[in-house]
Amino acid sequence: MRKIIAIALVFGACGLAAAQEAGTPPQGMRGTAANLPDISALANITGYLSDDKNDSARNELGVNEVETAFQGYIYPEMRADIILAIHKHDGEYESEICEAKASFLNLAPGLSGELGKIHLDFGRINKLHTHHLPMVDKPAVLTNFFGDHELAGQGGTLKYLLPFMPFYTQLQAGAWTMAAHEHGVTADYPEDVLTITGSTVSVPSLVHADEDFSPAGKTYTARLNSSFEVADKTELELGVSGLKGRGAHYEEHKDNVEVTGADLTLRLWPSAYKRFTFQNEWMHLKRVVPAGTLHRDGFYSFLNYRADKYWDFGARFDYAEGAWPTISYERALSAMVTRHLTETSYWRLQYKHRNLDGENVNEGWVQVSFGIGPHSHELE
Amino acid sequence: MKIIILTAAALACWAGAARAEIKVVTASSDLKYICERVGGAEVKAESLASGDQDLHMVEPRPSLVYKLKKADLVVRVGLDLDMWVDSLINAARNKRLFYGKEGYVDASAGVPLLEKPEGKVDASMGDIHIYGNPHYWLDPANSKIMAANILAGFKRAAPDKAGVFEANYAAFVRELDEKMAGWQARMARYKGLKVITYHSSWPYFARRFGLDVAGHVEPKPGIPPTAAHLDGLVKKMKAENIKVILTESYYPRRGPDFLAGKTGAVVVPAAVSAGGARDVKTYFDVFDRVIEDLEKSAGNK
Repeated sequence: MRKIIAIALVFGACGLAAAQEAGTPPQGMRGTAANLPDISALANITGYLSDDKNDSARNELGVNEVETAFQGYIYPEMRADIILAIHKHDGEYESEICEAKASFLNLAPGLSGELGKIHLDFGRINKLHTHHLPMVDKPAVLTNFFGDHELAGQGGTLKYLLPFMPFYTQLQAGAWTMAAHEHGVTADYPEDVLTITGSTVSVPSLVHADEDFSPAGKTYTARLNSSFEVADKTELELGVSGLKGRGAHYEEHKDNVEVTGADLTLRLWPSAYKRFTFQNEWMHLKRVVPAGTLHRDGFYSFLNYRADKYWDFGARFDYAEGAWPTISYERALSAMVTRHLTETSYWRLQYKHRNLDGENVNEGWVQVSFGIGPHSHELE
Repeated sequence: MKIIILTAAALACWAGAARAEIKVVTASSDLKYICERVGGAEVKAESLASGDQDLHMVEPRPSLVYKLKKADLVVRVGLDLDMWVDSLINAARNKRLFYGKEGYVDASAGVPLLEKPEGKVDASMGDIHIYGNPHYWLDPANSKIMAANILAGFKRAAPDKAGVFEANYAAFVRELDEKMAGWQARMARYKGLKVITYHSSWPYFARRFGLDVAGHVEPKPGIPPTAAHLDGLVKKMKAENIKVILTESYYPRRGPDFLAGKTGAVVVPAAVSAGGARDVKTYFDVFDRVIEDLEKSAGNK
């Protein structure tokens, strides 16, 4: 009996030694004795100023968003991320599942998959959570084509690192169901719609309480992106994205939607902390309605300079056409400065001069974003 | 026909040779150096970070994913210094490199750690590392443990070459022991020398060579110096006659230069990794250089 106990103790000690020798566990695997996942909370406090007297949200300061995350491994090479958020939307707080996904990190060599509610990997910015953006607001092309929130769907995606390429190239495709917006119809009136031949036709249209346009319903996405180390500490990233689905108000408009996009990002690291980023994204929206086809374009160009470990300076130019039948043109120039406190905490000031169909608006933000606890996102 | 056969034979030889090499990707240039020493000709090592980078602040990017995708082995610093490696491993989808798999090596495993926090840890303490101070490679004696972890990884990747790796490891340890004796002899007269360091990067180095770290330019790890903190340091340096400020070469010089101006101390900007300065090409050069600079700045204590 003593012999058995002694052997068991020796094996136990070996097991302990082996555990100590495994090294630091990676993020999401910090499991305490109680086997807790990584738990974190982030808050985004934003103050907004505008000289547009019709803007009901202007001259207010408050909590814009709170996000909590539970992240961990559920099986070897299978990770779960549950991110719950409370957003301020039209002055009211609404809770939602921001993302809840299971990631299968190694389905086959080079192949991974994700299932659940996920921010769609379209272009450079859509998948980023608000607190990860290098700016307070999103470029107009994203809000005009995808709505105020990140475009998120319930479904799945497969990502494949192409094996035969001499540089990083990833191909991915996803199938999603996205919730249509709830809205109230307040009136109808005729509108001129651009047809595929460039002529216009007059169609009855509807005015919605909800002004957001976004794809919804059954939606399919694809993205191909590559990255090249063009010189020492210089990286060029190129991507093309595509989306096919329906409009959020399909029941009224019977609109089929296609969005195509291309992005180019150049990043340079001249020294340990300095970094230049030049990011550009262009999108084209095609809305096929019974009366014709709408074609809309938009892009943004973003330049950012990280001067040292703590300070970032950025500027952005936006051009975006509205997604609605009556075309609108928006041009904006923004400047922002960010002071980083930690990886997840910073404060930011941003100014934006916006011209919407000839009307000029000046806007300003102060943003304080902070995080508590271990919080991680996949490579962005 | 002859040409086709010869070309095919050449390609087969080339492919065979390429297969024989173990492809290693390391988080730091020091780990790359140790991999090259232990692996010798059997290994092709590449570092994700360059020697002049702050390992806390490396940005994961797709080209680094591409390097990991092709690797047989990943060697990381661990202890949360290189957390950015996690997202790269996940994005690379290389089954050999996941945590606990045969191609995953954490060089910190088994290193006796300093400054391991006890009790509650939060951001009020600055950018604190919950598993202990991660700058362990700055004690050259710890490189034996780092090299042993790497050796174990190589043996898993190519068990048939275990003998070669063992011999290379032994040669590395022999050279380290010789160098260590020299460094300790040179540093003996500085035992108890009080220094200020920019960040809490030097406790392992200080313990090995008997230096006394009397304060940091940063009030807390990762927090930039304030005027009040620097003022307090000036008083302390004057009161305790502290004449050396040791700082990584990538940290801003404003704080150290201010202290030096007020106290007459000498700033020693040190490359803390191989490749961190023009004449710091290897891991051993890191210590040769910093000890030489300390000798110059501290003079005869």
